[in-house]
Amino acid sequence: MNALLVAEDVKAYYSSSKGLVRAVDGVSVDIDPGDVLGVAGESGCGKSTLSNVLMMNIRPPLSFLGGKVLLDGKQDLAAMGREKVKAQVWGRVITLVPQSALNALVPTRKVGAFIKDVLRYHLKLNAREAWALAEKRFQELGLPVEALTKYPHQLSGGMRQRVVISVVTLLNPKLLIVDEPTSALDVSTQKQVLKMLLHLGAKHIVRAIVFIAHDIAILRQIATRIAIMYAGKVVEVGPMERVFQGPLHPYAYSLIHSVLTPEPEVRERGLSYIAGEPPDLVHPPEGCRFHPRCPRSLPICSREEPPLIGLGEDRFVACHLALGRH
Amino acid sequence: MIHLLRYLIRKVVFALAALVFFVSVIFALPRLIPGNPVGVLVSKLALQGQTDPARIQAVYRDFMDEFGIGLPLWEQFTGFVTQLLRGDLGTSISMYPRKVTEILAIYLPWTVALLLPAILVSWVLGNYLGALVAWRRGTLLDKLVTPILLTVSRIPFYWFAMLMLFAFAVYLRLFPIGGTYSWGLTPSLTWDFVGNYLRHYTLPFLTWVVICLGGWAVGMRSMMIYELGSDYVLSADTLGLPQRKLLRYAFRSACLPQVTELGLNFGFMLSGSLLLELVFNYRGMGSITFQALSALDYPLIQGIFIVLAAAVILANLAVDFIYGFIDPRIRTGHLRR
Amino acid sequence: MGNARLVVSAALFLAVVLFGLAGRWAYPVDPVSRVGGKLQTPSWEHPLGTDVQGRDVLAQLIHGTGTSLSIGITASVIAVAIAIVVGVISGYRGGLMDDSLMASANVVLAFPVILLLLVVAVFVPVRSPMVVALLIGFTSWPGLARAIRSQIMSLKEREFVFLSRMTGCGGVRIAFVDLLPNMMTYVFTSSVVIMSAAMLAEAGLSMIGVGVTKGTSLGTMLFWAQLSDAVRRGLFWWFIPPGGVLTVACASLLLLATALDQFFNPRLKER
Repeated sequence: MNALLVAEDVKAYYSSSKGLVRAVDGVSVDIDPGDVLGVAGESGCGKSTLSNVLMMNIRPPLSFLGGKVLLDGKQDLAAMGREKVKAQVWGRVITLVPQSALNALVPTRKVGAFIKDVLRYHLKLNAREAWALAEKRFQELGLPVEALTKYPHQLSGGMRQRVVISVVTLLNPKLLIVDEPTSALDVSTQKQVLKMLLHLGAKHIVRAIVFIAHDIAILRQIATRIAIMYAGKVVEVGPMERVFQGPLHPYAYSLIHSVLTPEPEVRERGLSYIAGEPPDLVHPPEGCRFHPRCPRSLPICSREEPPLIGLGEDRFVACHLALGRH
Repeated sequence: MIHLLRYLIRKVVFALAALVFFVSVIFALPRLIPGNPVGVLVSKLALQGQTDPARIQAVYRDFMDEFGIGLPLWEQFTGFVTQLLRGDLGTSISMYPRKVTEILAIYLPWTVALLLPAILVSWVLGNYLGALVAWRRGTLLDKLVTPILLTVSRIPFYWFAMLMLFAFAVYLRLFPIGGTYSWGLTPSLTWDFVGNYLRHYTLPFLTWVVICLGGWAVGMRSMMIYELGSDYVLSADTLGLPQRKLLRYAFRSACLPQVTELGLNFGFMLSGSLLLELVFNYRGMGSITFQALSALDYPLIQGIFIVLAAAVILANLAVDFIYGFIDPRIRTGHLRR
Repeated sequence: MGNARLVVSAALFLAVVLFGLAGRWAYPVDPVSRVGGKLQTPSWEHPLGTDVQGRDVLAQLIHGTGTSLSIGITASVIAVAIAIVVGVISGYRGGLMDDSLMASANVVLAFPVILLLLVVAVFVPVRSPMVVALLIGFTSWPGLARAIRSQIMSLKEREFVFLSRMTGCGGVRIAFVDLLPNMMTYVFTSSVVIMSAAMLAEAGLSMIGVGVTKGTSLGTMLFWAQLSDAVRRGLFWWFIPPGGVLTVACASLLLLATALDQFFNPRLKER
C-alpha cells in the first residue's frame, strides 16, 4: 500500500499542573492519496493534538512520547526532530490550517505581501514571479484577486478562511490538515469552504486532506473515510458512508445518532444522547475508556483495553462487543 | 486615504482644543485671586530686594498695561490672545525689562538638544533590547538583563542622576561636574566649543538614556512575548517560515503600542528632563524654571507653562501622525482612535 | 514562591513605615533646629551628619519619610475615591456623561502635574504636605478610573445585574453595591501602585521647588541638597539617604502590588 502518511502508535502528552494529560495515547492511522479523512469526536478527545502530531508540530507543554510517523513509507518524521521537519516538510509536504485560522494572517502585512514572503522563502522567487503565482492560484480557486491587496482585517470571516486555505496550499503540499475550518462560519460560507477543499483535491493541488471536526454532518459532505476518537484513542475507522449507516462502536453509534439529518428515518429513530461526562485524560478509566458511559458495556470492558482490530474492507474498531469478545 | 485624512484632521482639532484650553487656564488663574494681580506680582519684586520706588512704579504701570487690568474681561482675553499670536509672551518681572520670549529662546534649544536625541536613542535601543530578551526568553541573557532593567526602573530618576553625577564626575572625575559648557566659552560652531559641549553633554545624555531605556525594554519584552504567542506567528511557523521572519512580524506589531506610549509619556519625560537639568546644572529650561520659581516671576512662569504645554501638545500630535501612517487599520478606517 | 514575594515586600515596606513613624521616638532629635556644626560627616553623635544649616540629617530623614508616606497615602486615597466615583458613573451611565468624564480624564492624564503646580506655586508660595497631597491626588485618578469604567461596562451586561434591576434597585446603587465589590482586589492593588507613584512625584516636585515648602519631606531634603550643590561638593551623607529610602519604599510597594496581584489571581502565573 502506498500510503501517504502512516502514524503508528503515536503518543503525545501535555504536562499540566494536574499531571500528564494523555491527549493522544497510542493512535494509529494511515492516510492514502485521494483520501479525505474526517477525524471526529467531542472536544478534548485529542483531535487537534493529533493534527499537530501528524506533522510533528510539537511545542511545550506538549511532548512526543513514542511512535512513528512515516511519510511516503520512508521517512520517520518522529525521528527527525522538529527543526528538520520544519525545514523540509512544513508548508511543502504537509500543511496545517489551525483552528484559529481567522487570525492566522499577519495583521501588519497585506495578504499579497505575506504570500510573497512565503513564496520567496520556499521557492526563491522574485517579487514579480511571486505575485504572478499568487494571482494565478487565487483565480484557480475562485478568489478575488483584489484580496491580495488588502489587509486581513479588511476581509470577511469566510473570505479570510478561504484565503488562509489557499495560502497554506501555495506550495502544493501532499497533505492538507484542516482543523475545524467551518465552526465559526454560517452555512453558506461553510459550503464555499467545503467546495474549495474539494476543488483542491480535484485539481491535485493537494493529494489528501485530513479534516478535523466535531460536526458529523459536515464531515458527511466531504469525507471519504472517517476516524472517530475518544479520550485520546481511535475507536473506529472506516469508509464514511458505511460507518455512518452502521457504526460498530457504541460511542460512534451515539455520536452519529446525535446528529440531525434531513432524512426520514431520523423521525422514527429519535435523538440519542451520551450520558456522563468526558473522561479525565490525566487518569483515564481502566480498561476501555468509554466503558463508564457505555450503555452496552461488558465485564471485560472494565478490565481489558480493546485493541484496534481490522475487520476487513478497511474497517477497524476497538470494542470488545463489536469484536465479539467476552 | 480618506480615512487617514479624517483621522489626522480629528487629531489636529483636538490639539487645537487642548491648546485653547490651556491658554484659557493660564489666562484665568492670575485673575481669579481677589484684588489686583499685578499688585500682588509686583510686590514680590519688592520682596526680592528691589527697593527703588520710582522703578517699582514704572514696572507697575507697564504691567498694568500688559495685563490690561481695568479693561473688561473679554478685551483682556482678546488682548492676551493677540499678544500670544504675535509671539509675545510678556515681560519678565525679575529680569525686567527683558521679554520672556527672549529669555526662553536662550534656554529652550539646549533642552531640545538634550531631550530629543535622548528620547529617540532610548526608545530605539530599548525596543531592540526588549525584543532581544523576549526572543531569548528564559535563557541566561533574559534572566540576567531583565531583573537589572526592572531594578533600574524602580530607582527615582532624579536620585539616580545624582548618583551618576557623583560616581562619574565627582568621584571618578571622568566627566565635568555639570554645566553646559565650561566657563568663559561662548557658543559657536567651532570644534573647540562643540567638543567642550559634548564632554558636558555626555553624562546627562547617558543618564537619561539609561533611565528611559529600561522602561521601553521591559514594555517591549512583554509585548513581544505576547505577539510571539499569537495565532499568526504560530501559523507562519507551521508554514515553515524561519525564526527571523517571525520575529520581524511580531516586532512590527509590538512596535505599534510603543509608539502610542511615546506620546503618552512625553509629558512625563519633559518634566523629568527639567529635573535632570537641575541636577547636572545644565542650563536649559530646567534651570530657568527653577530661577523663575525662586523669584516668583509670574510672566516668566506663564511663558514656561505655555511653552511646555505647547511642546506636549505638539509631541502628541506628531506621534498621532506617525501612528496614523504605520497602523494599517487606521489607513483603512477599521479602527477608531 | 509567590508568598515569599508577598512577605518580603510587605516586611520591607513595614520597616520603612516603622522608620518613618516610630523613628522619632528612637531618635528624638529635632530636624529643623541647628544641633551641630555645618556639613559634618557622619559620626556617632550624628549618624548621618549635618546639612548646610547644621541640622541633623538622620532626624530629617525620619521626619521626611513620615511626611512622604503620609502624602503618598493621602494622595492615593483621594485618587482612588475620585477614580471610583468617576469610573462607576461613567461606565454605568454611558452616553454624554461618559464622554465628558472620559474627555476630562484624558486631559488630566496627558498633562504633567508640574504645569499645574508651576502656576499654583506662584500664588500659594507656602505649601504644606497636605496641599501637595491633595494636588497629586487630584491628578492621579484617570488611569484607575478608566480601568474601573471598562470593568463596569462589561459587568453591566451580566446576568446578576439584570436580576437586581428586576427587583427594582436603582441604577447607580446597583453599580456600587453589586458591581464594585467584584473589583475591590484590583482597586486595592492599584491604590498601592498609585501610592508609590505619588511618593515619587512628591519628591521630584519638591526637589524642583513646586512641591512641599513647609515641613520636611524626602523631596525637600533633596531640594536643599541640590540648592547647596551637595553632589558637586561630595556631601554624600546628605543626598544619598533620602533617595535610598524613597527607592526602598517605592520598590517594595511595587513588588507588593505584583505579589498581591498574584495572590488574588493565582491563575495569572507566568510560565
